[in-house]
Amino acid sequence: MSVLPFPSFLDDVKAKGLKKAVFELVDESMERLTAGMNIQDIREALRGEPASRKPNPRLTPHADGFWLHMRPSYFHADMTGLYPTFRLGWLSTYLVFFETITGILLMVWYTPAPGIAYEDMVNIVTRVPLGQLMRDLHRLGAEAMVLIVALHMLRTYLTGSYKKPREFTWFTGVLLLIFTGFLSFTGYLLPWDQLALWAVTIGASMIEATPPAIVGENLNLLIRGGPEIAANGLLRFYLAHVLLLPVLLFIFVGVHYYKVIIHGHSLPPKKENIGEDTAKRVPLDKRVYFIPDILTSETMWLAVTTLILVVLCIWFYDAPLEHHADPQITPLGTTAPWYFLWLQGALKLGDKVFWGLIFPGILLGVLAVWPYLDVTPSRRFADRRIAITIFLLLISFTTILSYMGLAKFGVATSADAEVLYEMTFPPAHNRMGELLPVPYNQLVVGMYTTRQIAAENDDPGNGSSAVNAFNQEVETIMVATADGNATLSLDAWITDLLSREDHLAISGLNFTTVPADAPELKQVLEDFQAKLEAENTELYNGWGGIIISQNQDGLKRADVLVSWDEVQLESGHPVLDENGNVIPVLDANGQPVRRLNRTHIFIHEDGAYFAN
Amino acid sequence: MFERMLIGKMENRVTVGIVCFVGTMVLLGWASINEGGRMLALEETYHARSIEQGAALFATNCTRCHGPDGRGLAGYAPALNNPSFFGHDFFPDITTQINNLDSDKAALTAELESVTAPPTDERRAEINARLSEIDTEIGSLSAERDPQLQAAVDLGYNPQKPDRLQNLGWAGTSDAFVLTTLIHGRPVSINYWENGAMPAWSQTAGGPLRTDQLEDLTAYVLNWDKSDQWTLDDLFAVKQFAKEPLDPDKFGGGELPDPIGADVASILTELETVTGDVARGDALFHNQTVSQVRERLACSGCHIQTSNGTGPMADGMWTRINEVRLQDSALAGYTPEQYIVTSILQPGAYLVPGFQNLMLANFGQRITLQDLADLLAYIETLNQPAS
Repeated sequence: MSVLPFPSFLDDVKAKGLKKAVFELVDESMERLTAGMNIQDIREALRGEPASRKPNPRLTPHADGFWLHMRPSYFHADMTGLYPTFRLGWLSTYLVFFETITGILLMVWYTPAPGIAYEDMVNIVTRVPLGQLMRDLHRLGAEAMVLIVALHMLRTYLTGSYKKPREFTWFTGVLLLIFTGFLSFTGYLLPWDQLALWAVTIGASMIEATPPAIVGENLNLLIRGGPEIAANGLLRFYLAHVLLLPVLLFIFVGVHYYKVIIHGHSLPPKKENIGEDTAKRVPLDKRVYFIPDILTSETMWLAVTTLILVVLCIWFYDAPLEHHADPQITPLGTTAPWYFLWLQGALKLGDKVFWGLIFPGILLGVLAVWPYLDVTPSRRFADRRIAITIFLLLISFTTILSYMGLAKFGVATSADAEVLYEMTFPPAHNRMGELLPVPYNQLVVGMYTTRQIAAENDDPGNGSSAVNAFNQEVETIMVATADGNATLSLDAWITDLLSREDHLAISGLNFTTVPADAPELKQVLEDFQAKLEAENTELYNGWGGIIISQNQDGLKRADVLVSWDEVQLESGHPVLDENGNVIPVLDANGQPVRRLNRTHIFIHEDGAYFAN
Repeated sequence: MFERMLIGKMENRVTVGIVCFVGTMVLLGWASINEGGRMLALEETYHARSIEQGAALFATNCTRCHGPDGRGLAGYAPALNNPSFFGHDFFPDITTQINNLDSDKAALTAELESVTAPPTDERRAEINARLSEIDTEIGSLSAERDPQLQAAVDLGYNPQKPDRLQNLGWAGTSDAFVLTTLIHGRPVSINYWENGAMPAWSQTAGGPLRTDQLEDLTAYVLNWDKSDQWTLDDLFAVKQFAKEPLDPDKFGGGELPDPIGADVASILTELETVTGDVARGDALFHNQTVSQVRERLACSGCHIQTSNGTGPMADGMWTRINEVRLQDSALAGYTPEQYIVTSILQPGAYLVPGFQNLMLANFGQRITLQDLADLLAYIETLNQPAS
């Protein structure tokens, strides 16, 4: 007789008692949820005990369940150690999901429009709780993903795991590498700061160079949505980053992993006979079962890796956010992120079409079809000397190219512009201008000159008298005006330029020594002098000045000047005479032509530049 | 060692996993606790950096009118670094008292002038007596305050109305005031600032700056606020106060003269009665002043000085008209003045070869006879050799 007018759970309760009925209900639910394992099976698995019933319930989730249908039910014991895979494939997949999750979270607070994107970034780091952590995790995860995916490829190459029958797996892997690179490239633009805009502009201009011109120009327009990267470009990059590339990535991760499982993980090279592939035929004594061993191991590594990433982001890593993107100002020394430095270096070798497009194209093309070129049967290191040599050569070449990609290599800027830049540039790539980190209270209002340091380098007591002598000097040295019709004292000339063109309210130059309670300011002046000395051929008879003034409450202005005698230059380098000396340029009266370059920045007491 | 699982025993794997997971949760919790303070500090940092950016923009773009220290420039633009701009009253008690007296006065005057309930003679006398009392009180209060502010009063400061935004009837925040003023400029101020109106700065209004740059400028300007710490020295350091055009006749309100229309024949006759001013024509041509109908003509926008643009270039225009244009059979019988007047008032009538019919056709509604005479006088000086 049913309790209710229809059969129900209550009938079981009536028949077996509440406790037993509930237990059986839970047990059955567990078996359904896990597609084959009830409470007893799970308990046995987690305790490391053998299965107590047949067929082995730990294999049913793989046969019947969705989530585990693509995971193998057992692995070869020789594949479960750190060697040969170093877990890099697993780590790559982890990072894909990690980036997806952190990315989706960030999407909630981000709008891909030039007027809003940067504001949203500032909002995320200043007004969204744990927003900065989320952003740092996403950025660090991206850099880690590029690194791990590249290492995974290198490992697969070294162990020859691309050989028959896994050629197509390798091919899809190279595609995944390319997608990862593009994900990184498209994501780079989204913060819409100076770093984003200019790094991506440089990258996009390589696409513009694709020959023939009609293809390159139209590809460029397609990607940028216009002649320059603006609202359309940002939207396209955003859509590529959150829609197109993730879809492609997920499709090909699916194909890639399917192929891995179909052929089985390749074994360490020396464990197999040459030319054989026994990965799928795993002897019973070499089987490590997914449930419980691999599953618990992967879950553990998930927890460990997440902890490591969170620790790194909380204490060691800060994603950069520079000034708002400004199409009118190109920062000196824009570099690509480290994984594209090799490309930037390659571009310095010569023609940009060859080195920027053809060379990487050939490289990636050969990489993709490598398994179809290298058809030798052996995967053992001793039998693959040529392949491994090619590998090492390529690594060396890429490393050298990466070094060449750095800003300091091969980019000619005038010495004065470079010195001024190094004194004042806003935070970029974890560095900033020398003046910025000086504590606000040590930016004492006044005018200071490197002549003080030059004198003190000879004798520490000479500073004060050198500065006094210098004040005399700037009153007496005469320079010609721009139209050549009159002469002004150096003092008057500089004061006029600073007040009229730079809108600095001064009526004359009056240098003093750096106060004793401003040691960091003194250090900056010393660094300034050192930079001038390093360039003393181009900046002949050069001296530097720092003028600090109060602009508003809590806001100071620092004008940095460099003045020197002009010398003859050829291709940006000073011409030397037969004695190895520079050749000063003289005006109509036989006097050296005095040059001046200067820049100014503002520093607020809450600018917190030390924190960067 | 690397060829087997790093952590072989199940219990150890479970332990490590749980420890790491709990560790992550603890770290996230710890980070969350600190978030409030961190976010506040970082927000201040970004605000500080915004002020720095604004300072650089101000130095480049604004100091030539608002002064290097933001204290204004006589005849160019009012001070922003200015207690009045931020609504500071140095004598709030007196201001309040005078305001109260003024409202009493207004109420009594209304009663005096009431038509529906005219006061009795007795009451009238009372009111008048009280009114003169009030005037005396206001006078003595002003006499107590104003001499202390004389230097500022001489420059246009009104001690009784010290709050700029209130005087304008601005109901929003000072933030919004500065930002919106930057966006659209003050085109109307051409009427009472002789050296030109404040231009629009936002890219949306045709100016050069982005919205984030305008916000940086706003942060910089507002950073001048000293709230209660303003001193009289700050007030006396101001070189130019804001102007309030209260006198319509004086500041260009009221009726404007009629524009000339497009009847070239009668205009040519009338032109003989006026003398053109070359300097004013030059200023009109180059958008440095407005026509008598308060219109910006901006001829130089299309007639660029030394190169062809949307229209033929300015230099050599008179020469070309005489030596080239009038040789065209379509213009047989035209005098140079007739050609120019027709070109301005009926631009579609004749097109210089190589140019399209893009010149505005509404100049007849935008200039007076004098404006036209001045323009003609200027164009006659464009007699550089034809190249």
